[in-house]
Amino acid sequence: MAQQFPYTYYACCINASSSASLVQKRSSHTTTADEEDEDRTFDPRSPRANYSLYPLEHLLYCDDCQQIRCPRCYTEEIVAWYCPSCLFDVPNTQVRTEGNRCQRNCYNCPICTSPLQVNPLEHSSHLAPESSNGASYFLGCPYCNWSSLDIGVEFAKHTGITAQLAKLKTARQSQAKKEREERAENTDSNDNNALNERPTRDDLFSNLKSFYKDALSSANPVNPLSFDPTLYNSPPSVTRLMNLYAPPSVKRAKAAKPTPMREAHSTSEGLLPLSPVDEDMSIARMAQAGWDSLSSTAQRSQQQHPTTKFVQDLWPAQTRLLTRRAKRCATCRHILTKPDSKISSTRYRIRILALDKVPRLSIRALSALHTPHPSFPISVSSTAATAPRFEYENLRPGVMVQFLLTLHNPLFEPIRVTLGTPAVTPGKLASRVTVLCPQFEVGANTDVWDEALNSSTTLSSKGKMQPGDGPVQAEAGKVWERGRNWTSVVVEIVPGFPGGAPTGIVPRTAEEEEELDEEDTVVEVPVFVRFEYEYEHPDAAVFEKMREEEGARVKEVPEMGRQTREVAFWTVLGVGRVAGR
Amino acid sequence: MSPDLESITDTGNKISRRAQITGTANITLGGKTVIQSDVVLRGDLHRLPQRKEDGTMERTPTAISIGRYTVISSGCVLRPPGRNSGGTWRYYGMKVGDNVFVGPNTILSSASISSHVHIGASCTLGDFSIINSNVKILPGTVVPALMVVPPGVVLGGQPARVVGELGEGWGGGGNGVGGGEEAWTEGGELRELVRAIR
Repeated sequence: MAQQFPYTYYACCINASSSASLVQKRSSHTTTADEEDEDRTFDPRSPRANYSLYPLEHLLYCDDCQQIRCPRCYTEEIVAWYCPSCLFDVPNTQVRTEGNRCQRNCYNCPICTSPLQVNPLEHSSHLAPESSNGASYFLGCPYCNWSSLDIGVEFAKHTGITAQLAKLKTARQSQAKKEREERAENTDSNDNNALNERPTRDDLFSNLKSFYKDALSSANPVNPLSFDPTLYNSPPSVTRLMNLYAPPSVKRAKAAKPTPMREAHSTSEGLLPLSPVDEDMSIARMAQAGWDSLSSTAQRSQQQHPTTKFVQDLWPAQTRLLTRRAKRCATCRHILTKPDSKISSTRYRIRILALDKVPRLSIRALSALHTPHPSFPISVSSTAATAPRFEYENLRPGVMVQFLLTLHNPLFEPIRVTLGTPAVTPGKLASRVTVLCPQFEVGANTDVWDEALNSSTTLSSKGKMQPGDGPVQAEAGKVWERGRNWTSVVVEIVPGFPGGAPTGIVPRTAEEEEELDEEDTVVEVPVFVRFEYEYEHPDAAVFEKMREEEGARVKEVPEMGRQTREVAFWTVLGVGRVAGR
Repeated sequence: MSPDLESITDTGNKISRRAQITGTANITLGGKTVIQSDVVLRGDLHRLPQRKEDGTMERTPTAISIGRYTVISSGCVLRPPGRNSGGTWRYYGMKVGDNVFVGPNTILSSASISSHVHIGASCTLGDFSIINSNVKILPGTVVPALMVVPPGVVLGGQPARVVGELGEGWGGGGNGVGGGEEAWTEGGELRELVRAIR
């Protein structure tokens, strides 16, 4: 999906410390490359960067590690399973036995995937006077108007659809088997016997499953992972124990030699032999019914048997369950988020967001008074509608543009920020970047009322000039504007020339044109953000209290009280796209 | 929207004069809600009042009720869901929660939309669909009739399916105001957006 400019991404796991430890075990030479990574400028173009850039809303924060945590460096634990359609909780045990499908009346349309509804079959006597066996419900799709009547399925009750469908399916399968037998008798072909023995798909699956189970149990008679105490009495378990304490060389030699296993080679073992009669039948059916009767790949993937060829044979799919998951830091195992297990509540018991711990960076063009929020496509005020819009999609190469970088501080302590950018952005489009004020302070996120009450004193704009026509003169080394918990600085960016040289001077060859990707015209600025703040150590208050109680006995103050904490991370600012030729 | 085309009610609702609202008596607005121009609110499609036990007719039921800090962008149509029941066509009430943003040119016929829902532009929400809280609906999505959308998901496609989950920080980050930056985020509090719309 095309991201709208301007945007900010936060980098996490850029030196892939967690994966590096895994790599170390296998090959030693890669570690040096990882160490080098730490000092290098973060390149948003590198193929690896795709996996480490996230919007701030998606990131968590670990208080113990004092680091941002992304999906690559936290682990997930399933708190609850639930059906997205009926919003019922499914207990873990049921998920284990029945699979991750809703066992109630939730089904998805086999044609278009939208949820199916159980509808009463009204005037059933009028439409189908013959079907007087009490069937009066059907599954209908409100989107594509598919109905279970298309495949000849009716229900007697509106509840317990799953059981009714299973019954119908087995009935249908046995009927199909019978038909095939009859046909085989009529055709009087040579592979008569083979057809008669032909089992259903479910039978085949259970045959194959039991075959593999037998094969596995015969291959290694004692499961080395089971800790059944009764097993210690048997001779194989004794050998297993002996193996455990044997020298490692012996063990390795044994593990390296797996016993070869035989594959299934008959229908009783779960093998499905190709039958020419069936293939001929389906070809004839295709020729008769045409393209429209064939199911699409997406539809087949929804089916229990992905070889379903015809739309007529598509079966409604049970709704897949969703999960709610708690997240843990992968390094220190602390819980970062834990949602309420109840589906109805959207609250979290624990939730440590990067949003609350790390300053938020946002960038916009200095000349644009108002930038419409990409997800709120409305004109907010009449002045904004008439004001000239800054065209982020249309930056001119070689022409300096001033951007305003604003940092919001979510912390309750003021922070000192140091920004670092490469002078020239990495990648083919080498843009020059200058942060006019790379070191500044951002105020604490105190009560909103503080600002309202003494707005005249806290709001001071140092480097700001009167906005007039033409480029505004921003003073180097001074912040542009400052508020309660935010500070803006000016960033000057000279977008590079796509392809290296200015157009017109050196005519580009066709090869160079081809080399330029659409992505190569995007101006992305990597920014290293380092901030530090002083904070009250949580134990300090306890210590003070203890000292009061104990009197003069405790004199020495350990490293407590005010402490400085330092956090650093890379971000990527997407400021726009250089105009096409 | 220019100032002369808008009226502000006692409870702070901002309603465009170019909105087409029928059956005003059957529409409840929670206050601080924005109805932009060319929005169609079909308040006339309400459930028929029932005769009470004592023989008197009950009050006309509410057709559309909208919560606080909800923004209905221009060109939207809010049409209460209806269905054929017992041989007659009946309409049912429609509820929209707080801090809901509805993008331009979207057609809503849902039975209920909970709070903190962000609906993109040009969507269609079918009759009796139920959208739970904290849901993002991508632009151009068609939600089939009667679909139930679980909380905390991203919905997209035609027909709509769950295409992703929202991050834990969804709706957050809008607390810092200033620096010319907007203080509202998707799924967050829309108070500042409502205040900014003039």
